[in-house]
Amino acid sequence: MLPLISIVLASLAAGTVLTFLAGARARWVALATSAVFLGEVALLFVDYSGWPGYAGTPLVPGFAEEETHAWIHLSWLQVNYTVGVDGIALALILLTAVLQVATVVYSWEERRRPGAYFGLVLLTCLGSFGVFVALDVLLFFLFWEAVLVPMFFLIGLWGGPRRRYAALKFFVYTHVASIVMLVGLLATVFYSGSTSLDFASVDASARTLSSVDQSFLFLALFFGFGVKFPIVPFHTWLPDAHVEAPTGGSVLLAGLLLKLGGYGLIRWAVEVLPTGFANDRPILFVVAFVSIVWGSIVSLAQRDLKRLVAFSSINHMGIVLLAIALNSSLGLLAAVLLMFAHGIVSALLFMTAGSVHHTFGTRDIAGLGGITPTTPALSTMLMAGSLASLGLPALIGFPAEFAALLATWYGLGYWVLIPLGILVVTAAFYLWMMQRVLFGPPRGVPVGAHDVPWFEKLSMGMLVALTVLFGILPGLLVNVITSSPVHGFPGP
Amino acid sequence: MSDILGTATTFAPELVVLASALLVFLLDVVGVRRLEAVGAVHVTGSSIALLLVLADLGFAPLAFLRTVGAGAIDVAPAAGSAPLYVVSSFGLVFQAVFLTASLLVGLASMSRDSREAGAPIFFGLLSLATLGMLFVALASDLIFLLLAVEVTSIATYLLVGYTRRGIRPLEAAMKFYVIGAVSSTLGFFGVSLLYGAYGTTNLFLIGAVAGTVGYPVLALLGYGFLVAGLAFKTTLVPFHAWAVDVYDGAPTDVSAFLAGGSKKVGVFAFFLVFLGPVLFVHPGAPGNPFSGGPFAIGPIVQVMLGAVAVLTMTVGNVLALLQREMKRLLAYSSISQAGYMLLGIAVGTGPALAGATFQVFAHVLMKGGAFLVVAGVAGLGVGPLVDDWRGLSQKRPLTSAAFALMLLSLAGVPLTVGFVSKFVLFSAAVDARGYFVWLAVAGLLNSALSVFYYARVLKTVYFEAPEPAPGPTGAVVGGAGPPALPCGGLGYGRAVAIAIATVAIVALGVYPQPILGPIQAAASHFVALGA
Repeated sequence: MLPLISIVLASLAAGTVLTFLAGARARWVALATSAVFLGEVALLFVDYSGWPGYAGTPLVPGFAEEETHAWIHLSWLQVNYTVGVDGIALALILLTAVLQVATVVYSWEERRRPGAYFGLVLLTCLGSFGVFVALDVLLFFLFWEAVLVPMFFLIGLWGGPRRRYAALKFFVYTHVASIVMLVGLLATVFYSGSTSLDFASVDASARTLSSVDQSFLFLALFFGFGVKFPIVPFHTWLPDAHVEAPTGGSVLLAGLLLKLGGYGLIRWAVEVLPTGFANDRPILFVVAFVSIVWGSIVSLAQRDLKRLVAFSSINHMGIVLLAIALNSSLGLLAAVLLMFAHGIVSALLFMTAGSVHHTFGTRDIAGLGGITPTTPALSTMLMAGSLASLGLPALIGFPAEFAALLATWYGLGYWVLIPLGILVVTAAFYLWMMQRVLFGPPRGVPVGAHDVPWFEKLSMGMLVALTVLFGILPGLLVNVITSSPVHGFPGP
Repeated sequence: MSDILGTATTFAPELVVLASALLVFLLDVVGVRRLEAVGAVHVTGSSIALLLVLADLGFAPLAFLRTVGAGAIDVAPAAGSAPLYVVSSFGLVFQAVFLTASLLVGLASMSRDSREAGAPIFFGLLSLATLGMLFVALASDLIFLLLAVEVTSIATYLLVGYTRRGIRPLEAAMKFYVIGAVSSTLGFFGVSLLYGAYGTTNLFLIGAVAGTVGYPVLALLGYGFLVAGLAFKTTLVPFHAWAVDVYDGAPTDVSAFLAGGSKKVGVFAFFLVFLGPVLFVHPGAPGNPFSGGPFAIGPIVQVMLGAVAVLTMTVGNVLALLQREMKRLLAYSSISQAGYMLLGIAVGTGPALAGATFQVFAHVLMKGGAFLVVAGVAGLGVGPLVDDWRGLSQKRPLTSAAFALMLLSLAGVPLTVGFVSKFVLFSAAVDARGYFVWLAVAGLLNSALSVFYYARVLKTVYFEAPEPAPGPTGAVVGGAGPPALPCGGLGYGRAVAIAIATVAIVALGVYPQPILGPIQAAASHFVALGA
């Protein structure tokens, strides 16, 4: 069998290196690399048992396309290069590939050090892909850190006026969190007496840990992954980083980096330490509800379009956390669907916010109005993104949020009124924003403003198309996700 | 006769190094003072010795060079015998580390300014210091150990001051000498107390006697003095203050050797005294005679060592944060790295020992390499302050990239050898359970702290604009400078040394198994040898 995942990893890495070296032609190399990556990911899907029309032999339980090679073998430490995918990872890998293409196309006219810019964008995606396929503690940590560094430079070199502060804050918050995460994972490995750092081995032996140990270890991992989520009160890096980052950086931050936290929590904490998870669930619920309410209330007070989207991300990721904490298969499915949906929609919204800024010189909601006649295409995209974000049926947000609310109803009963009520408030706020910015008499429209260039239209249009596609046919994703070898799912 | 021949083959690497030292002095007398020629003698000698050591360690392609049979390594002496030295695979690993440091520094120093006073002697002293270090790695008797340390120390005092130019090297040499003499005295005094308590200075015999006699006050005092003496050599807090002035004042290539090479002598002596022929072993170590027994003094000593390790890391890192001069910054970072190495002894298991040893090896590449770059860059007219390095990446992209990699490795960034060594060390600490987990956490927090000052240097080198070039009037002060060296002003030897270090940092960061495997095997043999 072909080592499919290693081939994807190698080609993406080679493309990234070439992009760094390509100088002024970097965008073409980056585009070619992303296109190849998207094609390879499509191959992974076709080869995966959950995909409709898959006609191969049924996979053995476990991860598809798993490969393992010895890496560091010592008497007490067995580190392997082990990679593999399941449906959860695959859905997020698709998101990575889509956002990579979209970001490269959107940033087509980046003139400042294009080699470094596109190289860093690809490196971020490479790290994310690695996180989604790594099935070894050390490998996972390597890729996890590999995402941090390029994002630090993207914010620090191409960002807005307060970029240095935002970049440093982002780095310190997430770096401290990843150290806690690493200690948590290592402690899980060694306290459980796992023979290797492979996921399968850690997963099997961690169940032997005592209930108290599991609770503590789960808390450490929850903190480590939670800062990426981000959970309130460790969320303050997010608005700064998202607002100061260049648009491409914001897209990757919101679309990909937040998903790393969710994926890590599901794969390395919830699955590995089920008892600890069960014990700590009350904490997760409290944090989730606080994040949902806080993110939404604070976003109501924002006047900056980008900050609005940033805070609504905290709200959405709070719902993801709630869905995970429900500890039901429907909740898990909802969490992954929500992450996918939020990845596409928040990327779209950050792009529109960036385009609004380029076109009108401001992102101030109060200072803008009636932009539709000037920029019909941009307005359409902004509207599509907002409607998807507030959960309009037939767009991607709807099935995800519906599943999440349904799972909450099954799991918690009337507590579902909290996220439901917040959804109504958020929807009203989005409608108000659209009414204000898109319609009515023109305000703050500079003379000579014209609609966004073709590459911005293309990238945003691509995301809108996916929003509609998966909104109408969420089954495509649901089949893939639920065929994961995770407890509660029907499996492959 | 066969005895002498047998001894000669056992000491083959040492004899080669001694021969190269004598040859250098001889060449000096004859009048051959070309640095390339004299340096080549040293480099050739170190390379041959390194190959011999690697052959003895069992590297298959070098089997034909083997001088010590596999059966003669890692053999505990017969009960009651008192050998002066034993050949252990762990000692051989350290010999390889020492020779690597000597080789890199020798290579780089071939690009020094030939007109420096006494420049050829430099290589002779370097060989002599290396010789002492090789003997340290063989010792199994405290007197033998301290004498070997003395050989190294005396050669390094001379190395610090040999240029006889300027007040700072002289001050550094003087300081180094006085502190060194005091620490040696402390060590010898401690050994004499131990002799009074146990009637022997042989480590194996001490281990055996202590098993029955226990630890009388006299012996504990003796250990205290011995440890204090060794702590000076290893720059542990609170015995570290001299190191910064000496590293700063010494010629930078010598600083590379002191930080990368000769300091590790103290680290090895620590391993030997604490872990070798078991004195204070980890209570859980297999075969530890004291676990749970009446002499369970180990845990207390371990807590103390752990505290010193954390203190050393923290003080080194915090003070490094405050430095404005590049060499002082590296010196403080070197102190903090000594803390990581001590952590391995505090944990005291075979895995932790392997981690600490790999850290020693990594430190040769990254800290030694960094000092070599600093020396080379100083030759290009860059001043001593960190701020003088502004925008160097635009003028010297390759040198800057190598330096950046070394600093990233020191900071423990993944895919460098520094990350692997810390990962192995900390995972060994977590593996040992108990409060050792907190040692690992302290170590991790410290590496997070150290990221700040390394990142500041990188920011200066990469993000800040270079100083405007001095006008033509400024350039001629002091007459015509030395002729520009090849390889971007570094010279061939230095460029090769830096390239070797950089490639090794990345290659071993990605795939450490070829070095880590043998180190692990050697460390477990070492722990077993004492038990």
